[in-house]
Amino acid sequence: MNAPQNRRKFLRTAGTLLALPALESAGFRRFVRAAEPGLPPKRVVFLGIGYGVTQETWFASLQEPGVSYTLPDGLRPLERHRHSFSIVQGVCNKLSAEAHWGSTYWLTGANRYGDGSGGMHNSISADQVAASVLGRDTRFASLQLNGSDPDLSGPGHGTGLSLAWDVRGKPMAGVNSPVALFHKLFSADSLPLEQRQAALREKRSILDAVGEEVSDLKRGLNRRDHEKLDEYFQGIREIELRMGREEKWLDVPKPAAPLREPGAGLMGVEEVKLMYDLLVAAFQTDSTRVATYRQPISNLLKSLSIKVAPHDMSHYSIGERMDASQKRDRVQSELLVGFLDRLEAEKDAAGRSLLDNTVVVFGSNLRTVHTLENCPTLVAGRGAGLKLGHNLVVSRNTPLCNVWLTLLRGLGLDLERHGDSSGVLKELIA
Amino acid sequence: MEKQDSKLKHQAVFRCREGVFAARRPRAFVSFGSGLALLLCGWLSEPTLAESVAKNGRQPGAPMAETQRGFLGEHCERCHGREKQKGSFRVDDLNLAIGDAQTAERWQKVLNAVNSGEMPPEDEKQPGRDAKLEFLEELQESMVVARRMLADQGGASIARRLNRREYRNTVQALLGVSLDVNELPADGGLGSFDTNALSLLMSGDQFEQYHALALDALNEVHARRSAPEKRYYSRVEGESRLEVVRKSLQERLDQRRRYMRWVHAVDEAGRRPENQPILQELRAKKHPEEPYRSWEKIQGAPPPSEYGFVDFTRARHEGEGHWALVPFLSYYVSQPDSQRGAFLTPGDNAACNSVDLGVGGWPAGQYIVRVRVGAVEGSPARRRFLEFGRRILGRYTVTSSHEVTGTLKEPQVLEIPVDLRGNEERHFYVAERGCLDDDTQGNRKYFAGVRDNGVGPDLVLWVDWLEMESVPAAGALVGSELERAGIPIAALGNQELPAAELRAGLERFSELAFRGSKPSTAFVERLLKMYEGHRAGGKKPGEALRQIFAVVLASPRFLYLSEPAPEKGRRKLSGTELASRLSYFLWGAPPDEELRGLGASEELAKPEVLGAQVRRLLDDRRSRDFVVPFTHQWLGMDRLNFFQFNGDKYPDFDLCVKNAARQEVYETVGQLLEENGSLQELLKSSHVTVNALMADYYGLPGVTGDNFRKVPVPPDSARGGLLGMAAVLAMGSNGEHTSPVDRGAWVLRKLVHAPTPPAPPNVPQLARLEGKLLTTRERLVSHQEEPQCANCHRKIDPIGFGLENFDAAGRWRTEDRYEYPGKGEKKWVIDPAGAFHNGPAFKDYHELRDLIAARQDDFARGFAEAFCEYALGRPYGFSDEPLVDAILERARPAGYPVREFVLGLVQSETFRTK
Repeated sequence: MNAPQNRRKFLRTAGTLLALPALESAGFRRFVRAAEPGLPPKRVVFLGIGYGVTQETWFASLQEPGVSYTLPDGLRPLERHRHSFSIVQGVCNKLSAEAHWGSTYWLTGANRYGDGSGGMHNSISADQVAASVLGRDTRFASLQLNGSDPDLSGPGHGTGLSLAWDVRGKPMAGVNSPVALFHKLFSADSLPLEQRQAALREKRSILDAVGEEVSDLKRGLNRRDHEKLDEYFQGIREIELRMGREEKWLDVPKPAAPLREPGAGLMGVEEVKLMYDLLVAAFQTDSTRVATYRQPISNLLKSLSIKVAPHDMSHYSIGERMDASQKRDRVQSELLVGFLDRLEAEKDAAGRSLLDNTVVVFGSNLRTVHTLENCPTLVAGRGAGLKLGHNLVVSRNTPLCNVWLTLLRGLGLDLERHGDSSGVLKELIA
Repeated sequence: MEKQDSKLKHQAVFRCREGVFAARRPRAFVSFGSGLALLLCGWLSEPTLAESVAKNGRQPGAPMAETQRGFLGEHCERCHGREKQKGSFRVDDLNLAIGDAQTAERWQKVLNAVNSGEMPPEDEKQPGRDAKLEFLEELQESMVVARRMLADQGGASIARRLNRREYRNTVQALLGVSLDVNELPADGGLGSFDTNALSLLMSGDQFEQYHALALDALNEVHARRSAPEKRYYSRVEGESRLEVVRKSLQERLDQRRRYMRWVHAVDEAGRRPENQPILQELRAKKHPEEPYRSWEKIQGAPPPSEYGFVDFTRARHEGEGHWALVPFLSYYVSQPDSQRGAFLTPGDNAACNSVDLGVGGWPAGQYIVRVRVGAVEGSPARRRFLEFGRRILGRYTVTSSHEVTGTLKEPQVLEIPVDLRGNEERHFYVAERGCLDDDTQGNRKYFAGVRDNGVGPDLVLWVDWLEMESVPAAGALVGSELERAGIPIAALGNQELPAAELRAGLERFSELAFRGSKPSTAFVERLLKMYEGHRAGGKKPGEALRQIFAVVLASPRFLYLSEPAPEKGRRKLSGTELASRLSYFLWGAPPDEELRGLGASEELAKPEVLGAQVRRLLDDRRSRDFVVPFTHQWLGMDRLNFFQFNGDKYPDFDLCVKNAARQEVYETVGQLLEENGSLQELLKSSHVTVNALMADYYGLPGVTGDNFRKVPVPPDSARGGLLGMAAVLAMGSNGEHTSPVDRGAWVLRKLVHAPTPPAPPNVPQLARLEGKLLTTRERLVSHQEEPQCANCHRKIDPIGFGLENFDAAGRWRTEDRYEYPGKGEKKWVIDPAGAFHNGPAFKDYHELRDLIAARQDDFARGFAEAFCEYALGRPYGFSDEPLVDAILERARPAGYPVREFVLGLVQSETFRTK
């Protein structure tokens, strides 16, 4: 009878520090000293585009490594920020062989067959590793954003609920519209405090009841089934953890919104712009320091009056499909440069430009069509001491996780490896 | 030792060269007798892996040929060997037998590196073509076998979560409420069935969604049971469109009049002598509209704004562009039948491309849509199909199509049942088929009409009215299952229950929801306490009850199919458990009352009772929830959604036909199951199962109506069997061109049970050939150049070429062409001849189909494996082979009647044990 009580007590004392099983990102126990007081908060945001890019016109020439490279057409809109970002060429997720999944393993580097069960396997994503440290003192440990496409988890991005995968390698849900995100960040809860507390208590008792059931049910099962039901159990635990944080912030009013509530039903270009604005606002108000955004594909094309379907576009050949692919590249770069402008212009509480302490990552696990090698990887922002302004050509098939490891360490995490990383990418360090 | 090695080597090489058409090695040790024993005598000891694999071609865990070592030694070990380990990777100590995940991973790295051409590095000695080919083939096949072996679950069935459709069906069966489950994450699509326990994950977010959905459903039960049934009705008359069209026509006529007056005024000014020089200059530009565009340069010419136009561009658009539609609109308006109904016209032309009905605000529930419709007599059959669908986020989305047999004199009334769920958009429409697929399809048809007669397309479909109405007394079905089970349904309203009844009701509800298994006492106690809490907090009794019922529907015994099991060994399922397993297999839903009763009394354990229940379940309409998801996933039909078809190239393959083509596959399998036909029919058949729309597409005369039925095809027809189905052929295309590779791989995978390994990523596109005018064959022949491509493509491509007589949309053709912007086009006569790799040759599609049809044993095995995988909720493993063998033994003598597969599986020990 006491089991749930004890479980909760344990979770409370442990706070947000998860009791982590040994997983692909090692070195967690040393996180404690990573966040030193007095340093400005670091932030990171991962922007995933799903399908790759037009390889002929997005990638800078491999023959022009270094600072004085020609910005290719697909990246040209970023010209005014050329010193704020680098592109990294030669990296890939070597364990991934899913030619339609640009996002599922992008931040995890996991092997789909990794646990040998024949089922779908994944591991913790880089943003969640970052959130386990950078997310401690904010209302939201991390934010997961999704585009409005109805089939966002289909070909292009691949399976998942957002770009984020939790410490057990399970998919994390995301917010699918700017309006929902706005409310999450800024809408004051109109219920009085006691009622909100009562609602939390209510939720707790639901979790206790089903927790009771799952323990009872598991008793009769064999080991394998035990493991399956454990997913349910872990799910409940996850909500409890979330509630612990909710409770902590219950009497802290939400910040005033630095922007107006967005209109409903906006799709494609407008939607991405708004999500970017909201991300800036979330950072500005220090509501979170870690975010991912799985961007719309089909609605983006629709908003550009492109008639080609996304998968068709990804199989471009010269003509309408390639035109569509290139237009999409340019528009994504235009949107990205707008985002960088805003981050540069806005100041944090200490009056520094947000971009000083933020890292922005843009890319996909897919290069183009069905190719996974040299996947598009763009890093921007001065938050992790990365070398910027470069066309960095690294040796072919360097694990993409080396990039993640490098920037996670740059953000102050004391981490030995992530995913299939083989070490930090020295070339990327300023 | 030496001798043995060379023998092994010889075998391996033999295996390598077998090719896809080589006969399967005879399966030793499985006689008809042993299969029978398995079925009748009950308990056999669990087959060991070794036993089961002894019968198969490639043995799991068996070492690869020693030649592999030789290849590594010659090309890899100098840098990745004992002395030196570049990239910390060595191959000299790799085990030729892939027995564990680590070894598999290391070999995978080797495979990737050689496949992508990364290794050996360019500046090193390269292996010969044949050596590389042999090395890759051996390794790839071993990897496939090893993956399967490592994933083998030893025949154990695993507890699993209900997938999305099962969850929806379960709530529907329990509460009578149809939920909108789209916000739940979709299951499946990971290359395995959506019943695969390992891929059915769970998260905290999902838990919260289940809880919220359950509360929605219970509230709906309450709302529909407590309020007196209200009739909802709405109708739109076709002639209501006329006013809109007439107004649009008047506006255009007015615009034209004003425009002509302005043009006249400009002309007038232009005649003045002082304007002659400028006019000459403007006329020199040789564009008749130049004087008007530059009206400002002409002295005395009035501005367009004086005539109500913003500027020249708008004036021209409104005065010329809009004018172009006037003949068609006038024609529409002048028709007597437009005064009493609406003609459905193609194109975005301000006439009437759809009749719409919005019922925003109507509650969830069952409704019926009726449309009174007729077609102009003598109009082409192809245009006499009505499309019905929903408008979602401003987009018209087809849900069904209907042949129109009524006329304008004697219209027919079509009835279409509709479920309104949750917060889905409530906007419906009818239109002529294929006119709203995208922005261009309707206009293409409109302009074809204009070219033809100067006015526009002939008027064909005519709608008298469109109406929608709630199904009377549907609300009574909501919650009726609960009532039958003695659950106080009225209490979901606001009736206060005595404590004892409350407890009993909660227990009964939980037991029903948990499919016969009982909730723990502690769970019930907590829920009752929660009820008290809600009451004390001011909630009404009904609301408090719904709150705790919702927790039941979010708890693990509801969401998971699980059976208690001993840690070691097997036990027979109880009747109740067996009933559940059976109904989720054949209905994707919980057992009904009859099945529950037979389970509870253990009658179900009797083979004849079980057999009778299988037949009953299959005969029930609910078995569609087996036929459709199984067929869809087995045949990989999600590919049909990947590509949008080019409407200019394939105007007849509109979304109505695409949907019907997809349905044809389901209906064909459903028909087989219904009449217990032979599986062979799927390879070649003298019949097709089509409706009027598909029959029209295939050019089969004499089929009317929307229901699918068996129709004979002539002996020389290309149709009959999966290979001749438009959906199957369309999946082997990209909506633009055929893809012989996809078609060939599909045949190997699905029809002849000789799958090639999954396509490796990072294979460059054939960019070298980009921009060259080549035939499909010429382009694909480059697959044979590189050994890493050739090893699979020599098996795949010839089959695909044999299907080239079908275009991307599955229509028969004898010629093909390739167009390249700026370079012209190339035409050629299709040559379908080819040969299976190391197998027999065929001269055309018909011979190819016969060769494939002759491989019914292979097809049956592939089918049985997929079938077991779906039913047992786990990837097919080597330890499932005895089961499949037994099923095949049983089905083969009668020529593979499909129900034998179901019976064979359901009556097997595997299915009946935990």
